Amino acid sequence: MTGSDSGTGKTIQSVETSLRVVDALRERDRAGVTEIAGALGCSKAAVHHHVSTLCKHGYLERVDGEYRLGLGFLSVGGQVREAQPLYHLAEEDVRDLAAETGEQARLVAEHDGSGITIFRATGERDGRGDRPRMHLGSDEPLYCTAAGKAFLAELPEDRIDRYLAETPLESYTDATVTDPELLREELATIRAEGVAFDDEERYEGVRCVASAVDSPGGELLGAISVSGPTERLSGERFRTELPDLLRNVVGVVELENTYATWTEQFSQS
Amino acid sequence: MVGFEKGLTAGSFHTVRMSETVTVGIVGLGTHGANHARLLREMGHEVFGVDADPTARREFEEAFDRPAYESPNDLFDREVDAVVVSTPNKFHQPTAVGALEAGLDVLLEKPLAHDLESAERIAETAERTGNVCMVGFHHRYRNVCRVARSYVESGYLGDLTHIDAKFVRRRGVPGRGTWYTSEEIAGGGVLLDTGAHCLDLLLYLSGWPELESVNAAVDSYFGHRDDYAYLDMWGEDDEAKMYDVEDTVTAFCEFENGLTATVEVAWAANDEGSHSYRIKGTDAGAKLDITNSLNAVEPVPDQRNDLTLYEVRQGGRDHFVDSSVHVRPNDPYTDELETFVDAVVSGERPSTTSVHEALDVQRVIHRIYEARDD
Repeated sequence: MTGSDSGTGKTIQSVETSLRVVDALRERDRAGVTEIAGALGCSKAAVHHHVSTLCKHGYLERVDGEYRLGLGFLSVGGQVREAQPLYHLAEEDVRDLAAETGEQARLVAEHDGSGITIFRATGERDGRGDRPRMHLGSDEPLYCTAAGKAFLAELPEDRIDRYLAETPLESYTDATVTDPELLREELATIRAEGVAFDDEERYEGVRCVASAVDSPGGELLGAISVSGPTERLSGERFRTELPDLLRNVVGVVELENTYATWTEQFSQS
Repeated sequence: MVGFEKGLTAGSFHTVRMSETVTVGIVGLGTHGANHARLLREMGHEVFGVDADPTARREFEEAFDRPAYESPNDLFDREVDAVVVSTPNKFHQPTAVGALEAGLDVLLEKPLAHDLESAERIAETAERTGNVCMVGFHHRYRNVCRVARSYVESGYLGDLTHIDAKFVRRRGVPGRGTWYTSEEIAGGGVLLDTGAHCLDLLLYLSGWPELESVNAAVDSYFGHRDDYAYLDMWGEDDEAKMYDVEDTVTAFCEFENGLTATVEVAWAANDEGSHSYRIKGTDAGAKLDITNSLNAVEPVPDQRNDLTLYEVRQGGRDHFVDSSVHVRPNDPYTDELETFVDAVVSGERPSTTSVHEALDVQRVIHRIYEARDD
């Protein structure tokens, strides 16, 4: 799995605190200095220094005496996405997938034990009322999402062992698989079939199908998923049609990735 | 390789040019690429490989003890005379255009491209650069096909009225689940695969008439089924992956010169396999049968090379004459490559299986797919 190499080397305490302020605001949308100080266990004065600094650089905004995350993060986020080769490779295919299915289609990358949405497109059936809307950059646990399980299925046994040892399998719905052995069995099936399902395991009333995208050398690049409400994702459509469609799209993206350097080189000439 | 074909070219005009060795880059190291590489080596030429897939590169290096590169540019920088393009269809255009622009002669595996637009771009580039550009419609190099064409060309059959062109396999979906069965990468199913051969021979035999109208049915009956059963498969069976193309196409074509043709191509059918052309003329008819009776892998030992002429005569009493034509079987792949190497050496572009003919085939393919939408 990709991720930060924590636990080695020195860290700077004040940077850590700034990042904790940011995390506190991610969880709360907006908050005042007192609330943040309470959440972090810091003094109000210290929090004030941090939020002022972050505001100065555009990473926080002050609204009605409270703070929220600033657009500076969107600039950074946009740039991060631009640097993801998979985004450029598969964006159009994911857009087509959303148009063809009428549902929400996403491109998900794995990072540090989470699945991060790097692109999302919605089809015409995907109504405003449909929840959840997984915004760009939203992160989800691996064990209870289709894309996440597609990632886990790609890992060698020892990495799965490590993931399961480090990750508490929290129950989000009645259908969330919290038994590690059951999860292992499901991962074996996903590995054989090339498609993973989330049958209301993360959110009640929401189903999702996903398939992992690999490089020719077998390196995991990401996953493509289609999700929607249980009324529309049911029966044959959920278990056969959408998986077939996803296998097609993923196969195409993998081949286009394999030949990407060729097509780029020659389109420039 | 087919045993009986060995030695047949000895003493023929082919021996002269064995002294001319060329260096050929094989771009795309699947079954076709490896086959081309093997034949070129047997003919005494030097080969290099290129594939974006590390597994394919390793297999090539093991089989041929020659280097395989990751990108065509790695090859273009070296001293190569020509390139064989045997990548998945969608990547024919960038590869062929890049090679032609780099001043190299190109032999593309059929079809010319995955769609008409890409095919036109390759043809334009070939025209502009003046380099050799041929497409691997290898059946055209079968001796029996050339003989059949000669009967049409000499007027022996009179004016052609109808051709019944058929390339049907009992079970022969290639690389089920691989790029061969992906609309996006292959551009289509059986029509772009064996259908391209069938249309190429139809147009060749009839002298490249202009297509006027076409009706077509394009269907998928077998390949996507979980219970798909078969004896042999060309390429690998990756059933769990991509499959969104047709396996059966039936078309009725009317040409501007009055000729009509039925075209029936299928990767799978509950019928005897057949690769045949029944040619009906005002003076005589002919049946060309080049069925590969195993239906699965080419080249295979059991290959038909049958040409029969059908006539009605009046000497003595009115009577029917059925004549069997016997011609030496040949290995069409070798003849195709020899034609290509000749062209590379001489710099003269051959008319046989040229990019222009292949573009005509691609236009008919395009028209048939368009007719499906009506």
